[in-house]
Amino acid sequence: MENSNRKRQSLFTRLMNPKYVMVYATIAIFLIIYIFGAIQYGDKGFTSLRTLVISMFTENAYYGISAVGMTMVLITGGIDLSVGAVSSLTGMIIAYGTARLGIHPLVCLLFAFVIGIGLGAIMGAGIQFLNVPPFIMTLTGMFLTRGCCSLISRESIEIQSDLIDALANFKIYIMWWNSDGEWAKIKPVCYINFNLILFIIMIIVGTILLQKTRFGRNVYAVGGNEQSAKLMGLPVARTKILVYAFNGFCSVLAGFAYTIYVKSGWNLALSGGELEVITCAVIGGTLMTGGVGYMVGTLFGVLLKSAIPALITFNGNLLSWWGKIATGALLLLFIFIQRIVVLYSARKKQK
Amino acid sequence: MSDEIILEMKQIEMQFPAVKALDKVDFTLRRGEVHSLLGENGAGKSTLIKCLTGVNHKTGGQIILEGQEISPTNPQHAMELGISTVFQEINLCPNLTVAENIFIGRQPMKHGQINWKEINRRADELMARFHLDIDVTRPLSMFSTAIQQMVSIARAVDVQAKILILDEPTSSLDDNEVKLLFDVMRELKASGMGIIFITHFLDQIYEISDRMTILRNGHLVGAYGINELTKVELVTEMIGKDIDVIFNLKRAEVGEKDPNMLEADHIGVPGKVEDISLDIKKGELLGFAGLLGSGRTETAEMLFGAEKISKGEIRLNGQKVNFRQPHDAIMKKVAFCPEDRKRDGIIGDLSIRENIALAVQARRGFMRPMSRQEQDELADKYIKALGIKTPSAEKKIAELSGGNQQKVILARWMATQPDVLILDEPTRGIDVGAKAEIQRLMLEMCGDGVSVVFISSELDEIIRCSNRIVIMRDGKKVAEVDGATCTQQDILNIIAEGAKAAEEVEA
Amino acid sequence: MKTKKFNWSQITRSKITWAIVAEILILLVCFIIRPDFFSISIQPSTGVLYGSLIDIVNRSAEITIIAMGMTLVIALGGTDLSVGALVAVSGAMALKLMRWDVLEYNTPGDYTVYPFFLVLLLPLVTCTLMGLFNGLLIAKGGMQPFIATLILMVSGRGIAQILTNGKQFTTMYSPFRMIGQGNLGPIPMPIVIMVVICILMGIFVRKTAFGTFVESVGVNRSASRLSGISSDKVILIVYALTGLLAGIAGLIYSSRIMSNDSNNAGINYEMDAILAVVIGGTAMTGGKFSLVGTFVGSLIIRTIVTFVYYFGIVSEATMAFKALIIAVVIVLQSEPVREYFAKRSEARAARKSA
Repeated sequence: MENSNRKRQSLFTRLMNPKYVMVYATIAIFLIIYIFGAIQYGDKGFTSLRTLVISMFTENAYYGISAVGMTMVLITGGIDLSVGAVSSLTGMIIAYGTARLGIHPLVCLLFAFVIGIGLGAIMGAGIQFLNVPPFIMTLTGMFLTRGCCSLISRESIEIQSDLIDALANFKIYIMWWNSDGEWAKIKPVCYINFNLILFIIMIIVGTILLQKTRFGRNVYAVGGNEQSAKLMGLPVARTKILVYAFNGFCSVLAGFAYTIYVKSGWNLALSGGELEVITCAVIGGTLMTGGVGYMVGTLFGVLLKSAIPALITFNGNLLSWWGKIATGALLLLFIFIQRIVVLYSARKKQK
Repeated sequence: MSDEIILEMKQIEMQFPAVKALDKVDFTLRRGEVHSLLGENGAGKSTLIKCLTGVNHKTGGQIILEGQEISPTNPQHAMELGISTVFQEINLCPNLTVAENIFIGRQPMKHGQINWKEINRRADELMARFHLDIDVTRPLSMFSTAIQQMVSIARAVDVQAKILILDEPTSSLDDNEVKLLFDVMRELKASGMGIIFITHFLDQIYEISDRMTILRNGHLVGAYGINELTKVELVTEMIGKDIDVIFNLKRAEVGEKDPNMLEADHIGVPGKVEDISLDIKKGELLGFAGLLGSGRTETAEMLFGAEKISKGEIRLNGQKVNFRQPHDAIMKKVAFCPEDRKRDGIIGDLSIRENIALAVQARRGFMRPMSRQEQDELADKYIKALGIKTPSAEKKIAELSGGNQQKVILARWMATQPDVLILDEPTRGIDVGAKAEIQRLMLEMCGDGVSVVFISSELDEIIRCSNRIVIMRDGKKVAEVDGATCTQQDILNIIAEGAKAAEEVEA
Repeated sequence: MKTKKFNWSQITRSKITWAIVAEILILLVCFIIRPDFFSISIQPSTGVLYGSLIDIVNRSAEITIIAMGMTLVIALGGTDLSVGALVAVSGAMALKLMRWDVLEYNTPGDYTVYPFFLVLLLPLVTCTLMGLFNGLLIAKGGMQPFIATLILMVSGRGIAQILTNGKQFTTMYSPFRMIGQGNLGPIPMPIVIMVVICILMGIFVRKTAFGTFVESVGVNRSASRLSGISSDKVILIVYALTGLLAGIAGLIYSSRIMSNDSNNAGINYEMDAILAVVIGGTAMTGGKFSLVGTFVGSLIIRTIVTFVYYFGIVSEATMAFKALIIAVVIVLQSEPVREYFAKRSEARAARKSA
């Protein structure tokens, strides 16, 4: 008894628990890239808070919000390809509702939530009860949603709404004592906007759900071994349906954030967004086989993924296409690390 | 053991669409007893258990738990009623920690949040009760099968179970681990729990059980106290035939002058097995004994090229061979029937015919396909020769019973007409009748001049069949004894004590 | 002659049945709305067959060709997300080879800078190698197919863009035009290429034991290896082959538009191809597969698209239609529904015999 308690006493051994290793890998690679950028482009302002908060965080906040839901779906061992389309549909609903029908944007958002959560729940039910592979089920969901976007309008719709404008202009400037000892905006100017706050809140909500509730633990159990989870008497069906519904909620929220960012709705917005989101989660250390993943990892996954375009922008000479290739290379690197970790821990398995 | 009856199942019937799996079966369990449930595969053991745990719903009869009639609707419900089950395969989540695996679904909460401290503390206590000193905050996948099995028992026990069902919990444990498990079972028994124990290992039944109930073809044969039946009588009751007829086997005849078919010279893979030398004559049956993890399987895999050897050499018919992958070995007429039938043996979705033809086809390469007629002939021949019970060769192999699956895998290798056949635990998890048939087949093949390497955890069958027995321990070959003269006790001594005992036996 | 008994349960249990039924139903709806839907005539000026049905088959060529490879990939229990990106790479490379001189002659014309066989060969070799790369990651690197192919899916279009410096070239080289717009006798060339490939694939998987090996590895890789099948080799061949087929589809696509379009070429092809395979009755979990089913699946997808075009429905809504029809097919094919049908027909048989 006492012996095993002692084994766990030190914070260090607790943090060294192998289950966290992928998160550390993400953070380490991010730091390496960041330090590389700092050395190369530090003089151009790569290390400024502005670059970190605005180009890396804020401009990808909507991917991040969606990635929160996606992380959960991936942890159950599933996948959801419909997220980009659902986000796009949210924008369309808000744009069409406010611009053409004169409905309050919040009412539109509420409607979008009903659609998004409903679709998620239906897909979850299909996956659970009809045994349709998640890939196919959510691909169908994606086609359906994209089609609906186009049925609403084939052109981009501008949004004129005080609320959306207000949210878009909402900024908390980061202040510090300047050289004269006055409390002022730091330079280069850096601020936190609504989307970033939303993203951070969602990460916290996601973490609490996953780590502190029975629902969250069931999510891990389902991903670890669905059959076992069933035999342990866990509510597998409910968990899976809820996860897809929650992911629908996140996609709608992400769509809302995106709408605030671009202030319009477009039927082809965020096409391919689902893969960006999945990439964020995967380089954040979430295993596609299910059972492993942390929200903190996803947070750094978003940072890591946006660090590359930032680097390319700072370089100035490279075509932006290199960003895609670099993302691919990053994925490759990441999967190799995962493999090594898996092989290593298999060898270390206690007999 | 008290005489108080905790569970009574009366006249249980289970009618499936095509077949009646249980026909008026009675079963009683007393408080504080270990009750073995016995029968061949398909006798209805698991159906009975499934009725009890709510996986299947009985079509007739009564289940009475502590005087109350119950009808469990699902495993969760059964658990709430106090009936916990531990299955042969570990039904836990490898990604979760040991502690969480024990408490998931019923975590202690505090302020609406999971109380992790409490979970870990209670898990520590439980593990201490099981005499396990492990860090319960590590993921389950970090631990050995035996510990995982213990954890699943801990989970089952901690839900305040009145009845614990252990469905073949020992099939992947070695002797020490089984001992540990039995200690735990005795403790649970003493605390008044009723334990239903299912296993294929007869020795274990006699070691731990108080009573036993025997089923055959969905019917009750009878319930006996453990001392009322001898082993031979027990087997006779189980299969309904006389055991001597079944086990009337003759060892292969090998002369001194028969040539060596396969020789291994100081082969090894660092960290797994070291420095194994052995030889096997044409038509000889060489047994491999040793505990699980002693390097038996690894040695077999080296001989077959599934594990690349990093030193030493293997000679076939006196010629040096270099197997880089199983395909190379198959080309040289070596065959290997792996230990884990489900993982490494059967191709579940394919038909019996395709499974049988697979190795022959693989040897030919895909550019020289076998015609359908050839495949049919091959399949029919072996279905008949091995007595595989199936309505048609087109049935999916996954739908067969374990024993029949094993025969199909055997047929796959016999069809390649090998010179050397390596069988890793070919009789595990199959019933006594099928076991005997497989042993008979092995010996027949020896008679036809095939050299057979036979790996098994069950010493009696190794001694019964082998000409010589190689004994492995901790990744080394510690001894080689003569199958005709050695006893089970000799081998046990060598396994337990290593090379020293081996010298005594040989001397 | 023995009369074969009509086995209803076997037919409802077969997954291909539903795909064929769906295809027939859609065609029937088309026919009811527009009776001339089935008419096929010969265009007098070119002597080429002409009509909606021909158009459906013609336009399905790219997806069908890719789906042939995808069937094997899925039978292995994998997915290949990179095919769409490979289509873009193949087109970009072909155009780059034909218009290497883009700085000197700015007007596209009926010429090629590099010899025609190189224009065809190099893109195909490149795509095969990229497919091989996928295969290597999966077979030797032990990666999940979804992730392994996601790498090229993400970076493939980047590679295509960089090949052409982000520019779009056009060409008027007539032998190249033949691939996508030409014809052999009265039959459009894409159909010819598609049929040839389907037949070759059919021979390759069913007249050799390769198909069985693929199924075997797809169901149980470890057991297949221990049975003497070189699982790694099978995986490598399948992914390389799929890369090659995506390359061919890329040539057809870019020949149709006589240009490279790295942003839009082959977009969503991976999804369409996977759908075609699944609708055709091959399970995503791997194992038994059916090339015929895939062919029908691909036709269904194209029929829906044509249907939407033909009846003047907003073309962007195609996706919604696709989704609905796929949903129906998926539901009909799903295990619980098939079991229900099986049970019903069993019950009927039992009633009859009683």
